[in-house]
Amino acid sequence: MPGTAYNFSVSRLKKIDPILKTQHTMSQKPLSPQDWESLIEDFQHGGSRRYKWSSIPSLLDLALSSILKKDFPLKIHLIIFLEEFSDNFLDFDEHFLERLIDTLKIIIQSPTDNLHITLSLKDQMLVSTTSIFISSTHQFNIIIIESLVEFLLILINRPNHGPDRQTRGVACECLRELERSYPCLLSDIAGHLWSLCQNERTHVTQSYMLLFTWVIHNIVVHNVNVSILNTSVPLVPFNVPQSLLLSDVCSSNSNSNGTNNYNYKELRRAMAFLLESPQILTACGMVEFMAMIIPIAVALELQASLLKVQFFGMVYSHDPMLFHVVLKLYLSFFDAFDGQEGEIARRLMLISKEAQSFLVFRLLALHWLLGLNQLVLSGKGDKKKKPMAFDLMGLSFYPNVFDPLALKALKLDLLALCMESLKSKSDSEMGDSVEKVFEDGIVSVSAYKWLPPRSTETAVAFRAFHKFLIGGSSHFDTDPSTTTTIMESTIFHSLQGMLLDMMLECQKLVPVIVAFVDRLLGCQKHCWLGERLLQTFDENFLPKVVMDYKLASCFPLFDRIAENDTIPPSRLLELLIKFMVFLVEKHGPDTGLKSWSKGSKVLGVCRTMLMHHHSSRLFLRLSRLLAFTCLYFPDLEVRDNARYDY
Amino acid sequence: MSGSGGGCGGCSIRAIWILNSLDAVVFSRRFPVVEKRWRTACRSENEKVTENSLSYSVFSLFPSDSELAAAFVERKQREGSARGFGIRVSQSSVGSDSWVDDPITRHIIGLYINKEEEGDNNLLWPLILHIKGNYCILILPLVEPRHVKAYARLCQRSDCGNAVGADESLSSLLVDLPSITGAFMVAHAIGDIVAGDAVEPEVLVSASPSVGGLLDSLTGSIGISGISSRAKPVAAPVASSIPSSTAVTGAVAVDAPKIGSRPLDKDTLRTFISSSMPFGTPLDLSYSNISAIKVNGFSSSDLPPADLKQPAWKPYLYKGKQRMLFTIHETVNAAMYDRDEIPDNISVSGQINCRAELEGLPDVSFPLTGLNAAHVEVLSFHPCAQVSEHGADKQAVMFSPPLGNFILLRYQASCGHGPPIKGFYQLSMVSEDKGAFLFKLCLMEGYKSPLTMEFCTVSMPFPRRRVVSFDGTPSIGTVSTTEHSVEWKIVSGGRGLSGKSIEATFPGTVNFAPWQTQRLPSSRSFLGSIADEDSDVETENSNNMVNMEEFIMEKMINDLPPVDLEEPFCWQAYNYAKVSFKIAGASLSGMSVDPKSVSIYPAVKAPAEFSTQVTSGDYILWNTLGKCPSAAAEKV
Repeated sequence: MPGTAYNFSVSRLKKIDPILKTQHTMSQKPLSPQDWESLIEDFQHGGSRRYKWSSIPSLLDLALSSILKKDFPLKIHLIIFLEEFSDNFLDFDEHFLERLIDTLKIIIQSPTDNLHITLSLKDQMLVSTTSIFISSTHQFNIIIIESLVEFLLILINRPNHGPDRQTRGVACECLRELERSYPCLLSDIAGHLWSLCQNERTHVTQSYMLLFTWVIHNIVVHNVNVSILNTSVPLVPFNVPQSLLLSDVCSSNSNSNGTNNYNYKELRRAMAFLLESPQILTACGMVEFMAMIIPIAVALELQASLLKVQFFGMVYSHDPMLFHVVLKLYLSFFDAFDGQEGEIARRLMLISKEAQSFLVFRLLALHWLLGLNQLVLSGKGDKKKKPMAFDLMGLSFYPNVFDPLALKALKLDLLALCMESLKSKSDSEMGDSVEKVFEDGIVSVSAYKWLPPRSTETAVAFRAFHKFLIGGSSHFDTDPSTTTTIMESTIFHSLQGMLLDMMLECQKLVPVIVAFVDRLLGCQKHCWLGERLLQTFDENFLPKVVMDYKLASCFPLFDRIAENDTIPPSRLLELLIKFMVFLVEKHGPDTGLKSWSKGSKVLGVCRTMLMHHHSSRLFLRLSRLLAFTCLYFPDLEVRDNARYDY
Repeated sequence: MSGSGGGCGGCSIRAIWILNSLDAVVFSRRFPVVEKRWRTACRSENEKVTENSLSYSVFSLFPSDSELAAAFVERKQREGSARGFGIRVSQSSVGSDSWVDDPITRHIIGLYINKEEEGDNNLLWPLILHIKGNYCILILPLVEPRHVKAYARLCQRSDCGNAVGADESLSSLLVDLPSITGAFMVAHAIGDIVAGDAVEPEVLVSASPSVGGLLDSLTGSIGISGISSRAKPVAAPVASSIPSSTAVTGAVAVDAPKIGSRPLDKDTLRTFISSSMPFGTPLDLSYSNISAIKVNGFSSSDLPPADLKQPAWKPYLYKGKQRMLFTIHETVNAAMYDRDEIPDNISVSGQINCRAELEGLPDVSFPLTGLNAAHVEVLSFHPCAQVSEHGADKQAVMFSPPLGNFILLRYQASCGHGPPIKGFYQLSMVSEDKGAFLFKLCLMEGYKSPLTMEFCTVSMPFPRRRVVSFDGTPSIGTVSTTEHSVEWKIVSGGRGLSGKSIEATFPGTVNFAPWQTQRLPSSRSFLGSIADEDSDVETENSNNMVNMEEFIMEKMINDLPPVDLEEPFCWQAYNYAKVSFKIAGASLSGMSVDPKSVSIYPAVKAPAEFSTQVTSGDYILWNTLGKCPSAAAEKV
């Protein structure tokens, strides 16, 4: 609830003598612009550099005096500084805020000379003053807040006035920010704001519209009983509404008895007005506008189809923010968009293909598609909806050759998701195609087969293997999909085959495959898959290994097999014996350290086996291996170690 | 979901930082109003924590510039680079972005802030990372504390990683957070200002090379010094918005001018930020509008329209002689294989740029025809356009134009005319340092006037070899070499190629300096540690290599560095020739605008001019005797 953070209970009566303050300030030695610059830098840097300025008393007063000095060059810079650190200054008291508002008035009322007093300065002063008011945590003197609001209202009360239109727009933004922080602050004067909004025709009409929309939003969300047609309360002088002064009325009202206090008819008229001309908004303005309109529409139970007709066209826009607005609308009103899922999904898929767009927006489009699918499937809203029309367009997610690898990776994710929807169809019909899609999809990163194992293509390919393999099997305990189903799947079988071929054709990929297996072994839910892969490698890879020095790259795999007590050690031991024989035979003057390093590795695997297998089937072969090594191995250290183990 | 008072449905920015190449913060801006909303949300979220001691609290404080920079450096070390690994690799640690295993974590990052008051390792997320020139731009949008918690769970998970379409995922967070999307828009707008290329799309007229931007239309084509938004003469922002064409393609574009060496214009940035998002909530990110307002202001003679509301995106109304200009820009990407088993892949990315010098707030409409023939696949429009349902072959576009140049619509299409350059490129290494090559090309086959090829250059890049000399004479054009490439200019200079096709052949040899093994710093490698730890993995099979070529390739491939995820593949692993060209006269897709069918309401006499420009993007001839990247043909 945004409405709880403020309190207007401070007395209206206190008014500080301005002369006292001025005298106080006069006693300070002013800082030079260079001093200010380094002070600002030190504050931004933080830590000890900031503390060194704490000895200067009345920094804030000094700042305000500098801002008012005619030829002070850093006015805007200094104002922004005060704003940025407003929540850091402990001496942001009423005195200061009063002086601040006086400074604001002086600057706004000074004629613009485009040198010292510029429009930018005026705008910044309005924004920063408002910002400081909102973000200071102190309880405020109501007189001060009323005086700020009143000043802003006077500014905006000149619709269509030419030269100061930008400043009027900024003042609207200030009021909107105040209304956002103190909900219902302006609800009594909503009628005036509406008529200003109707009258304004310059480009700042967006700011008037957003201000009015916020006021309506708060009236509806906080369930306030006011008439927005009635303009009997004058715009100025401005008084904080009585309801806000009493206590936190807004929040208590909203849920008191479930009845609506607000005037339904009037609010619907206001809505009709607001929905008349959204085309005047910028894309950013539209995001703000819809963030307020959606909750109003929900509360007033407006027909969502109206919103759909008005805003659905934005899915054809190339501005990602507008597209996202439609997605939010869709998620809020599932039912009104019945039948439109396919079009949304199609648009997202097309956006991901727009080569002119920045990569990140193409990635976002695919994420949105995945996310929508998930939110819809997880049954947000009352009804379960069917997933996005993946099966219809699944195959258009094949990566293009020039797609950046990041995009290829996400497109492969989507292909994996499509596989999930294919799987739900009858197996005979789709069995082949699952494998085909998998293989075709991987073509785009197939260079992993010959590039160095550290290549990005390899990383993307193995990431895709993982996605295709575990498919839709989530890590929730409640998920009924079992590892057995995955093990029986076509994907698992073809992946198994692929990995085997890969190891035989290209041994340098073995460490990558081991990392892949490790990933599965480390997962509580999918460790069986890793085990099954190791079993397959033991059965089908070990017998086919060619004896040469390159076998070294396979040792990580041997280690994993040795560690796993579900795999009988016989095959591995046979292989290691053969390898030791090979090493002994090949040993010669040019061998260098090879015999030593490879032999030590073999012994390492043997040790791993001893630690993990507690069965007699190990001992016969292991003792043969060690005995052979003791007797014949050319490297003395290895031989000694073997004897020690034996 | 949207009941949070617009807090989450909208887009607000908590802070902006810009870091230089030394990882020092050179600019920062925070928005205390937004920060206050964040703190309030954290307070109520952390109150729940006491009720349920299992969950943990959210980091509610805000880092100083030095704390942020320290955290950024720490992440860079942990994740190997400023962007990070992006996908889960063996070096990824639990809690890191790459643990989430998603490429978008190279753009949306999390930092762990160490702060005295709240202890170490406080997660700050989501930070939008946009790198432009030498600067890293970080934008922190406002999200709800529960989103940060959800992300923290994703990067701490102990299982093997996300299943597609299941589990709690990054995708559902991203759908739920328009503020992230908005923050990317902010990041790009700021990036353009930092790099000094915030220019409008290019629109061509027959009389002069290009037409200026918004300010020019206000000031009668007299650019205001310093902030003129006149489009660059040749390199249009159109090009700068096409990542593929600006990205370093192999090492072809190494000599492109480096942006980012310019000093940061902090005043311009400060003004832009204050006007575009005064309270941290973006209102308008159009740099040209904002700077026009800053420079020109408004006078009492700037009257709003009598009966219409002036849109926020059109602060000024045009006055003067009325006309409309349309320019179709197309970029052709092609992967030409000349192999039976892999079909060639040619695609056209196009857009219609527009400039409407019309008084008042008129609506403009015209029909788009020939969509079917052009196989136009994507159509997305400028927000000022109203889009009716797509017809099969015909679609009317109606729009209320903004000031200045803008991209009216974008499309993807096939190449209706067939490839402008066909043929093959063969390169064969006859010894370790000598390659024999042959080009046989046909240019503009079947292309009729007015299609004119203004220039055409074929470049053979050898980024990893130094070219010592070359031998051979092309049947047409001239040849030159650079240190790492051979350039063949087929069509150049004033005489374009029009109304006929030409054949061009070029046999020759190229000699390289002896190959030197390049050792990689292992920190850059992707799966480095697992592959490299076995330093005695042999490459001793040089003798059994079938031929010289494979041997050389193998040797060169072994120390190829992994490419960034933003690249389509490892360019350096392949031999290819890249064709650059420019074609004028008509579009290649068949997309066109008939100036006579442009109608304006309320009716006014304004001539419409139309022009086209086709340039090459990645137009690649893969060496038919070597390896080549490919992808399975798409099925729709």
